[in-house]
Amino acid sequence: MLPTDISQELDYDICIVGAGIAGMESALNLGDMGYRVLLVEKEASIGGKMILLSKVFPTLDCASCISTPKMASAAHHPNVTIMVYSEIDEIERKENGTFGVQMHQKPTYVDPNACIGCGQCETACTVAIPDEFNFNLDARRVAHIPFPQAVPKKAILQRNGQSPCNHTCPAGVKPHGYTSLVRAGLHDAAFELHLETTPLIGSLSRACYAPCEKECTRGEFEGSVQIRAIKRFIADRYYELNSEPNYGPVKERKDKRIAIVGAGPAGLNAAFQLARKGYDVTIFEAEEKAGGTMQYGIPDVRLPKDVLERDIKNVTALGVSIRTNTKVESLEKLKQDGFDAVFLGLGCSRTRSKREESADGTTSVKTKAPGRVRSPNTTPFADEIKLAANGVIEINKTLQTSLPYVFAGGDAVTGPLTITAAIGQGNQAAYFIEQFLQGHPLNAADLKELECTDKLAVIAREARLSTRKPTKLLKRENVSKEEGRKAAKLPLTEEEARYSANRCLDCGNCSECHQCVSVCPSNAIDFSMQPIHHQIKVGSVIIATGFELFDAHRKPTFGFGKYPNVVTAMQMDRLLSPTRPFNSVLRPSDGKEPDNIAFVLCVGSRDSQVDHRLCSRVCCMYTAKQAQLIMGSLPLADVTIYYIDIRAFGKGYDEFYEQAKGMGVDFVHGKVADITESSEDEGNLVVRFENLTEGKIEKREHDLVVLSVGLLPNTSAQGMFRGTSIEADNFRYIKEMDEDMEPGVTSIDGVFVAGAANAARDIPDTILHSGAAAVQAAAYIENLKGLVC
Amino acid sequence: MSIAAKKDDAPHILVFSTNNISDPGIDMAGSAHMHYSTQVQVISVPCSSGIKPTWVLHALESGFDGVFIAADGTDCAYLPDCTTRTGVLVKKTQDLLKEHGRSPKRLRMAAVCSVCSESFVSHMANFQKDIVKIASD
Repeated sequence: MLPTDISQELDYDICIVGAGIAGMESALNLGDMGYRVLLVEKEASIGGKMILLSKVFPTLDCASCISTPKMASAAHHPNVTIMVYSEIDEIERKENGTFGVQMHQKPTYVDPNACIGCGQCETACTVAIPDEFNFNLDARRVAHIPFPQAVPKKAILQRNGQSPCNHTCPAGVKPHGYTSLVRAGLHDAAFELHLETTPLIGSLSRACYAPCEKECTRGEFEGSVQIRAIKRFIADRYYELNSEPNYGPVKERKDKRIAIVGAGPAGLNAAFQLARKGYDVTIFEAEEKAGGTMQYGIPDVRLPKDVLERDIKNVTALGVSIRTNTKVESLEKLKQDGFDAVFLGLGCSRTRSKREESADGTTSVKTKAPGRVRSPNTTPFADEIKLAANGVIEINKTLQTSLPYVFAGGDAVTGPLTITAAIGQGNQAAYFIEQFLQGHPLNAADLKELECTDKLAVIAREARLSTRKPTKLLKRENVSKEEGRKAAKLPLTEEEARYSANRCLDCGNCSECHQCVSVCPSNAIDFSMQPIHHQIKVGSVIIATGFELFDAHRKPTFGFGKYPNVVTAMQMDRLLSPTRPFNSVLRPSDGKEPDNIAFVLCVGSRDSQVDHRLCSRVCCMYTAKQAQLIMGSLPLADVTIYYIDIRAFGKGYDEFYEQAKGMGVDFVHGKVADITESSEDEGNLVVRFENLTEGKIEKREHDLVVLSVGLLPNTSAQGMFRGTSIEADNFRYIKEMDEDMEPGVTSIDGVFVAGAANAARDIPDTILHSGAAAVQAAAYIENLKGLVC
Repeated sequence: MSIAAKKDDAPHILVFSTNNISDPGIDMAGSAHMHYSTQVQVISVPCSSGIKPTWVLHALESGFDGVFIAADGTDCAYLPDCTTRTGVLVKKTQDLLKEHGRSPKRLRMAAVCSVCSESFVSHMANFQKDIVKIASD
């Protein structure tokens, strides 16, 4: 009998973690040899850090022109499968020498098979956030294609949890969404977005208790965004322009009939949502008018009844019939009358408030605490469905009662509710009733939303926020005391509304304004997307996770993060790159073209203060490269480089350094102590340093300072292995067990390391090392094949 | 002269660009707000060697004044000999154009890399200028 070839049992021969230049190089080498490769990348595009660079040293070849063909080749290689926006959860080495990889693809909220990369979502997106591809030098939209050369060229929606306002709203309204739409001047779209969740926009804009404002992160600064006032602006403006809804009943009808008992907020909402799906909906209301608490529990002065009537028109326009003065006594009777499902949105019995019209046309309330004495009106159904001891209806998590075709929500279920929470229950009921009528299983987890974003992280991110005070809501003149302050406030003007909306911090990034959904020509946007988990069998693993850049905030005396004109070398590389943000080298504080630029070498390298004594091997050369490129881009600029030693060790490197000197770059042998802002020229910086040649302390002024930050180990792969850990060297890079004789071989048999995951390396060395790791992995696979199972 | 008038007068150019390499470069010309004529229309193809001579003739017969092939050069992700194949294709196409009494100069090819936005913009300006000359000859 022939030995069984282990590789037949594998999904892929080799899994490569990280698709930067090292991972791509290893993948292409192995793919060309005929091995099946899985290339896993955590970002939305492959390409790693090299695609971000301007040129490579010492040849000054265009980095992106070299990277893009590699990226395209990897993407189209028949033996290479790429999974982007994916992370490894765990890797387990099996006894037979193969590996089990657990990984997940993060949701991009855009169906990659449908997305055509047209970028229309990007244009329509209403939220701008700092662009990490440009190291926060400029802004990008939340819906975006990472960069023009991205592979795959697909859009993603980068959601950072759900914004606290959206997350907290019991009605499911998206305050962040309509706020960002108002900010963009899309007031009609803001109304329409709100209408997706509830027809009762005008009522909510007066009577909602606004939990969103209490959760608003801006509240931790100078005061929360006035979300309810913005909502009132949206509703009032829309109703002023549209006295009637501009839509009618849905054309595609469904052959099921639904009875809603109670025309309060829960019932109206359930009716609205079901009618929009094409169901035939009838509301039965015992009182003379629809509206429930909103009609009878809230005084006119707080919620004018014409606003409520207009809200209700949003429901009736869909063909929903409201039978007032009609009490429902029997659920069985409804069934006999041909209703396929019932929603009980019953309110509570309440003390009517008495209102009096005063001479000036305003109203006042005589009864104290209107509508406070309340108990659910469930008595007629006690024989048909289960009630709890306190008279409320018993339901399961999907709002279904003991009679399967009857669902319930609102006051009748929970006892007295706010109208906002009742709306939420109406929406949920509509969802589950539709599932029930379509014969689908009812699953409460369907309505699970994204986790709330971390407010502390938002606060930290906004450390340099400018102050924007909340708009003072003006009071109407000559208002009686009884009317209360809230009622007497005037609506926001458009200017005030947009100013207020501009105070939003976009906590969760995506505002859920759904503009991308409206414009996407291929219906690719999918907010319900969840992570996809995979378990994959592979024969070998290559770690090519690259390096981290030193965080310049860790050297506070250099002023990065404090002074806008102190930037990192990676930011300078972006400013010089062909894919640059501004088409020119500009300094951040005022957009001026700098004419006196300083580089500080060894920031975060060879520095025991930050516990990183290693030389990063690339900073001297990339700094000489940037200096030369600046002199090409800004021919009149003076460039100074402060250095401890220049390490130009590779082929052609010393010549490259001499070339920079020859071009007029001032290399100053000096150790920089601190950087401060000039008191005379705004935005300029004073560099204080020890002149090592002359042995004295000096100061020089520059208008832009670049910190040549070092490379740090990326330790993310080190905890990936189940039951064991991969050995790291003294500097926390993944260790090669015998770096002289066996490049790429780690402490775990069958796991190899490629490129800067093992040590700080420049691009040619990384490519060389990745080739070595590929060959090691291939040899390991060949050995496995020889094993008999 | 207003921009609208310019638009009407400028020669109409069809560009075949490759979706891995040339297209990002052309796309970036737009996103970086570089100006090129609105009379330029771009169709992306996977590989320039797959373009058919009859497509070019059809474009010229349908009202385009020139056809520009933005090729990958040696960067093609599919074929190592893409440049040679595209060269043969261009030669064949020019012969076809001659047979149909059209100037072979109405077809032009150049390598456009993934960041060659500026060079693409200048190619378009020069090609349009040259087409105007061909028309006046």
